[in-house]
Amino acid sequence: MTQALTQEELIAYFEDALPPDSRADIEERLRHDPQAQATLAEWAAQNEQLQALFPDMSDDPIPAHLTATLRPTPRRRPMLVAAMVALFAVGLVGGWTGRTLIGPGPGHIQLAQAAISAHDTFVVEVTHPIEVPASDRAHMDSWMSKRIGRPMSPPDLAATGFTLLGGRILPGAQSAAGLYMYENAEGQRITLYITQQDSQNSAFRFSAGGSTQSLHWNDNGLGFALTGTLPRDALKTMAKQAYDQLL
Amino acid sequence: MAVLNEIEALIPDLRRYACALLRDRTAADDLVQDCLERAVAKLHTYSGDGALRPWLFRILINRHRDLMRRDQRAGHLVPVDDLVTEPANAATQDAHMALRETKAAIDRLPEDQRRALLLVALEGATIDEAAQALDIPKGTLLSRLARARSSLRQMTGREGASSPRPLHKS
Repeated sequence: MTQALTQEELIAYFEDALPPDSRADIEERLRHDPQAQATLAEWAAQNEQLQALFPDMSDDPIPAHLTATLRPTPRRRPMLVAAMVALFAVGLVGGWTGRTLIGPGPGHIQLAQAAISAHDTFVVEVTHPIEVPASDRAHMDSWMSKRIGRPMSPPDLAATGFTLLGGRILPGAQSAAGLYMYENAEGQRITLYITQQDSQNSAFRFSAGGSTQSLHWNDNGLGFALTGTLPRDALKTMAKQAYDQLL
Repeated sequence: MAVLNEIEALIPDLRRYACALLRDRTAADDLVQDCLERAVAKLHTYSGDGALRPWLFRILINRHRDLMRRDQRAGHLVPVDDLVTEPANAATQDAHMALRETKAAIDRLPEDQRRALLLVALEGATIDEAAQALDIPKGTLLSRLARARSSLRQMTGREGASSPRPLHKS
């Protein structure tokens, strides 16, 4: 009597992700397992249906703006217009989120909410994710320090694979807030939100808005929030690095 | 540059995948454009050892995650009407129904299952490629695929007398 196949074995077999010897074993057991055979047939039918629903597009002409992305020619007007529209939209969103921040009394939750809104607003930006690029670091540091009212210098998170893209200024509750954006090689982005916040020095706390998580803390009159869609442990490792450098 | 030509050759695949994820051609092409822009900007980080496809899909998927997050907050409305082309030849009514059911079922899958299933079943990505593109271990991917396929089967009501063994996963 052979053992019935598990779903895990079956899917590994179906997707051709088995080493050759276990493949032979599964095939042997499959012969005695009509239920597993039926499942395989169903899965094959699912694949056919998906392929029928979304046909191959290799015969469709590729829109010119897509190929142009790969071969930048002299500046394209429509892109410029799109960028301006995007910037205007960001202004609207920023203005709106700004409103909610001027609520009564500072608080961790408020800090986290502001950080998450800012994160979600700006990480999706292709053209203008930041105002001042990291390449203009000296200017960014002095400008942001002046606006936030405290010496500002973004931490180096390169050890975790994230490099600084740059920063921007946002409305905050007590002072202007700074938002630094970092990106890794896969295009994943995280942000570090910093604003003045009178509060006791605090431990790390987590807040989440949808799939975006924020790890926030208070230190020395400033509120910090490191925000991204990473697992908590990864965020925590980065927050610790940031914390050590921001002391 | 040779890599740019390789990327260009993959545009149809990226478009189809984006189309399947977003169900809207314009939005799909916007997503592909985002992905291409990001890829060009990040080209120096591409290791160039032939893993271009998963690398590109990974960028696209990251962009899609960002997009979904933003749209959730904006109270994104999912289009109800059909944007995907119907099969060209008049298929039988039954086949039509089955396709519609599958399409509706795909839309109801959790996002992570949908991304995984479409990569493998539609784009024909290998388990290695898909795990790389989704940035998850192979074991996680396999059980995610099994779950996606079994929910799809349940939702399309084709879970006949010989129902599959339950997967004991939420």
